[in-house]
Amino acid sequence: MKEKKIKTSVYGAVIILLLAGLVFSILASITFGNADISIKEVYSVIFYELFHIDSLSAYASGAVHDVVWLIRFPRILLALAVGMGLSVCGVVMQALVKNPLADPYVLGVSSGAYLGAALAIVLGIDSFLGDNAVGVLAFAGALLASFSVLGISSIGGRSNAGKLILAGMAISSVCSAFANFLIYMAQDKNATSEITFWSMGSLASAEWDNIAVFLPLMLLICAIFWTQSRSLNLMLLGDDTAITLGTDLRRTRIVYMTLAALLVGFAVCAAGMIGFVGLIIPHAVRMIFGTEHRRLIPLSALVGAIFLIWADVACRVILPNAELPIGILVSLIGAPCFIYLMARKSYGFGGEQS
Amino acid sequence: MKVSAENIHLSYGAREILKGVSIESSGHSFVGLIGPNGSGKSTLLKCIYRILKPDAGQVFLDDQELLSMSVRSSARKMAVVAQHNYYNFDFRVREVVLMGRAPHKKALERDNAEDYRIADEALKTVGMLEFADRSFSTLSGGEQQRVILARALAQQTPCLILDEPTNHLDVTHQLQLLKIVKNLDVTVISAFHDLNIAAMFCDRIYVLQKGEIVGCGTPEEVLTPELIRKIYNVEAEIAHDSSGQLHVLFRA
Repeated sequence: MKEKKIKTSVYGAVIILLLAGLVFSILASITFGNADISIKEVYSVIFYELFHIDSLSAYASGAVHDVVWLIRFPRILLALAVGMGLSVCGVVMQALVKNPLADPYVLGVSSGAYLGAALAIVLGIDSFLGDNAVGVLAFAGALLASFSVLGISSIGGRSNAGKLILAGMAISSVCSAFANFLIYMAQDKNATSEITFWSMGSLASAEWDNIAVFLPLMLLICAIFWTQSRSLNLMLLGDDTAITLGTDLRRTRIVYMTLAALLVGFAVCAAGMIGFVGLIIPHAVRMIFGTEHRRLIPLSALVGAIFLIWADVACRVILPNAELPIGILVSLIGAPCFIYLMARKSYGFGGEQS
Repeated sequence: MKVSAENIHLSYGAREILKGVSIESSGHSFVGLIGPNGSGKSTLLKCIYRILKPDAGQVFLDDQELLSMSVRSSARKMAVVAQHNYYNFDFRVREVVLMGRAPHKKALERDNAEDYRIADEALKTVGMLEFADRSFSTLSGGEQQRVILARALAQQTPCLILDEPTNHLDVTHQLQLLKIVKNLDVTVISAFHDLNIAAMFCDRIYVLQKGEIVGCGTPEEVLTPELIRKIYNVEAEIAHDSSGQLHVLFRA
């Protein structure tokens, strides 16, 4: 089986390349930004923080230190975590509903988050829940929406892919209607602009405190999904076939949905709404490496992380002295890519035949 | 291996689909299930391969009650080739066949060299080894069904259920697929539409009509002009070719 070995080694080489690419991306992207800091200064700060070399102790504090170590670096790690999380989440959601068009935002999750954010902003409960009330309520909204979708789709018999999508649409409409109602009734220009800004996504809120929780959590959930490759593969064959192959997916589906909602909830909490990542990255990876989840998940995670790091760099650089909301940029890049991918290869879409 | 369904009842709402059906197959026998559309063939098979749960009655695999077994252990005893499957997502042929190894794997276990060997062996049996690295969705219907059969073979089960697997295939591919199955050393239960194909491969045939068994025996015993008139409402003549093979000839 020489051929098989070659294939496995190609995959291994790609993983190593992507890992190298990720490290390079982190190190390179940290030198970009509005503040005028030389590359030497940037790395001096990082070396000092990582290895505490005495000769670099000049960089232990001060403005340059703060910009590089307290602002840029956590922000890049957040981009990495969110990009990875959203991509893997997209892969899982697509398997859950057996539809390559699903993404973390299709199953009502984003609208739940939007409603949560609207509540927080309009009712002004910032002071009550601390600084990141918008994020916290968005997280709660995302979780609540996911569970409602799961609950509704299992009314009157077992839940399946079609019912999940329909329930997702229903919950989506209800949540956005409520959110818009709140915004409309509040007649508060500040609240309106705040929620608009939030809904466009931003990685600017990154701090070491939240990264320390967020990054390990994302890594953990992605790793859990990686161990589930076999079930995810079977999921695509459908519940009936899965049973004849010895796996009952009903309970598994609920567990995956919950984990995926956790992922999206945290991503939304940390960075607002960033669409398209979960759709476009798995698509692109799948076109080159196929659908087999044992490969798809790590590849999507790495590509997603690298993608979002550079998207964030672009956001910081494109407009002089201002930041472009990352949600806008990603959609601007994502939508045409998506159309191109669709046009280039005839792709199976759910519902055509099943 | 012995598979038996005993006194299976199943209703969809008020409509009774199966009214106490019992069938069995054991050893190396190829048992066919015939009957008009809506007679309950597929429903019965779905009860046997656990997609549907009968309202009453039981299915036994080697005297073990099916529902008392885990899904995983029943999938190690019984493999299924259903009606033609369409997949949205692109898998390679070998990946599809490797999924047949799932019931033999623990939660975190990866496919090892042995699994690859079994998968390739199965592909060889169905004559699809040279397609192993092709994308499944680019294959023709006949090729896809053979790959699905290979997946069932990779399960290494003593029993195989065929739910009208050759429905959309032309005669070449129908015969090809069933010949492969006939040469396996397994217990087979299969639903058929085509009476001549059933006559050619089955050791025994059950006839289903409106959810009840109305005939059972060898093809020679079952396929008579009277029975065909009774269940299909069609006039037919029974003939034998030079090799002695039974053929059903229909009259308009």
